Amino acid sequence: MKDVRSKLLKLQKLKKHEYHHFIHKIHKRHNISKRTLFYVKEYGQHTHVSRTIIKESIKVLFFASIISSLGGLAIEQIKTVFVSIMPLVILLPALNDMIGDYGTIISSKFSTLLYENKVNRKWWKEGLIKRLFLQVVSVALITTVLSTMAAFVISSLSKNAVSLDVAYKVFLIAIIDVVALVSVLFLVAILAGTIIYRKKEDPSNFLIPITTSVADFGNMLILAMLVMAFF
Amino acid sequence: MLIIFAKYLWHNMHLIDKNFREILSTQLVSVAGGIIAGSVLAVYTENLLLIPGMLILLPGFLEMRGNISGSMASRLSSGLFLGVIHPNRIHTKLIRGNLLASFALAVVVSLMLGLIAFFFNYLVIGVYSMKIIFIPVVAGMIANAIEIPLTFFVTLYLFRKGHDPNNIMGPFVTSTGDITSIVSLLAAMVIL
Repeated sequence: MKDVRSKLLKLQKLKKHEYHHFIHKIHKRHNISKRTLFYVKEYGQHTHVSRTIIKESIKVLFFASIISSLGGLAIEQIKTVFVSIMPLVILLPALNDMIGDYGTIISSKFSTLLYENKVNRKWWKEGLIKRLFLQVVSVALITTVLSTMAAFVISSLSKNAVSLDVAYKVFLIAIIDVVALVSVLFLVAILAGTIIYRKKEDPSNFLIPITTSVADFGNMLILAMLVMAFF
Repeated sequence: MLIIFAKYLWHNMHLIDKNFREILSTQLVSVAGGIIAGSVLAVYTENLLLIPGMLILLPGFLEMRGNISGSMASRLSSGLFLGVIHPNRIHTKLIRGNLLASFALAVVVSLMLGLIAFFFNYLVIGVYSMKIIFIPVVAGMIANAIEIPLTFFVTLYLFRKGHDPNNIMGPFVTSTGDITSIVSLLAAMVIL
């Protein structure tokens, strides 16, 4: 134990961009994952922690901001109709969260399947992938139904009850939006994940930003298109 | 349609395993926060959503909380599990760096969102309003002054109690983040 600790302390003292045979040696000898060793080295004594975090996060955050704003622009175009349907306003943050979360779940689970070598070239025939898809779609349907019901109840309690016709349309909009996006996210995660994995890169680092950006933009765009089509 | 779905689930009970239950429970928490935030948004529609450009800003502003505080919670959790961060020792270089970076990122991204909304507003809608730049900056500072310490202390608390913060912090950050974001946008409107 003392031996490992002294090696880890030595690793911390290394400069951030300096590769050292130590990493491989500790990984092999003490069975410590390379991720753990990466963390120890990344935030070592020579690192300015906040500068490192800002530098590595800012590009992804800027990209995500632009994508989200483009999606928001689509909703802004139909603002008058959108804000007049109270259940849709209530549902907006929940739908946004939900779809982003499904993007993260699909990406991380698919990355794990790739690492475990459980994905063949004919992925559409893979039982585990079918199961994951059905599970995510089922959870998405349950949460969408529940949140739409809650939006109707809150809306009627605040004396803004909607007619049955409008309620039916809102319900359909939410269901189509969520199912369409979960399917798109699945395809994006599988196609992008397989390509990234074949290039010997870690899919976890790329898939989550890709799928959450697609989810953000896609959600607003599909929502705007559905509102235009139904109202 | 609902009956068909219920029948489908009934015939495919094997789908309901530990994985399914975990995803469902975390999503229910996340959706509950979203619905509360949406209700506040609906009540103050006239004050908030009718401002030109606010809907351009809103998705990114809501997403920012998860992206920044969520990542911070994940970094802290990794550090806690690796023993690099100690739950009872909070005045360390790593923790200070994490808190400072998260707050600085929040201010920069809020300003970025404001600038994007301003340009889209001007170029696409033809509305010139500088207010749309300042609203997210002030709201971002208020929301993160609440959300970052909250995320930090809850992550440490969960770890101390023997839970894995990775499983809980995601939905926690998105649900509380939505509420603090909407309330702070309203507060920023009052201030400006």
